[in-house]
Amino acid sequence: MSESSMTRPHTTVAHHTSLGVDNRKLGVWAFIGSETLFFATLITTYFVFAPVNRARPDFQDPRKFLDIELTTVLASILLASSLTMVLALSASKRGDRRNFTIWLLATVGLGPTFFVLTGFHGTHVAIGVIWLLSVFFKVRAYPNSPENAMDVEIAGLYWHFVDLVWVAIFVLVYLI
Amino acid sequence: MAGHSEEHTVHAHGEHSHSDRFYWIVAGVLAVVTALEVGLFIVNEQHLIAKWLEVTLLLILSTIKGAAVVMFFMHLKGDAGIFKFVFLVPLAFATTLLLSFMVLFSDHVGIGG
Repeated sequence: MSESSMTRPHTTVAHHTSLGVDNRKLGVWAFIGSETLFFATLITTYFVFAPVNRARPDFQDPRKFLDIELTTVLASILLASSLTMVLALSASKRGDRRNFTIWLLATVGLGPTFFVLTGFHGTHVAIGVIWLLSVFFKVRAYPNSPENAMDVEIAGLYWHFVDLVWVAIFVLVYLI
Repeated sequence: MAGHSEEHTVHAHGEHSHSDRFYWIVAGVLAVVTALEVGLFIVNEQHLIAKWLEVTLLLILSTIKGAAVVMFFMHLKGDAGIFKFVFLVPLAFATTLLLSFMVLFSDHVGIGG
């Protein structure tokens, strides 16, 4: 059996509900929905208090604190990590262990670039990196078994959401 | 790229997946849109177009980026309706929240002026 076609023996197709969908995937989407509201309240608070903060003598302009060039590089890195994540999922689904390893670890490698710079968002990136590494070590032997492929998919959903939040922060805080 | 020649495959439960080539194309489009955003911001430091037009264009471009990530990287396009429901409803609430507070605290019509 070639490495690229390995499938775990005695796989289980568990976690399906009366809705006909995987309950873990549904849970992650519901979690992402709640996180959308979470970030929206933070961004709204930022905008509401922006005029007050700008009037303060100790005001720190985010555009000077993190200039546009650096922010653009960070945005590109996070977008690139979404590409590597979806390529890891694609490799996982077809049982291509080599490419799965390359793309998932590339995603993990791109994440910490963000860590120290964006506070709350950085915490989410850190959690995402830990989640991705956990998934990698759990599923690396049989990435295309149904259970393991779902593990990769739901970790990927969270990672893309982290990217999505930065798409919003980038334009709302740094460009507008 | 181990063998996916087709652009688009439909699996059980309505799940859609694409070829690796398609994901690279989406990433390329995202990079171009990001470049457009930054280019617009830098060019308009000379105030060539009105601020409201710049903001509108930036919001449109970022919406395109976000939609591409959700539809293609997160595979929400073509996935089960319940996933769309639990994501898009909070997103609609979040957008309403943001817009409502922006109006409420604006200098023109709200309580912030």
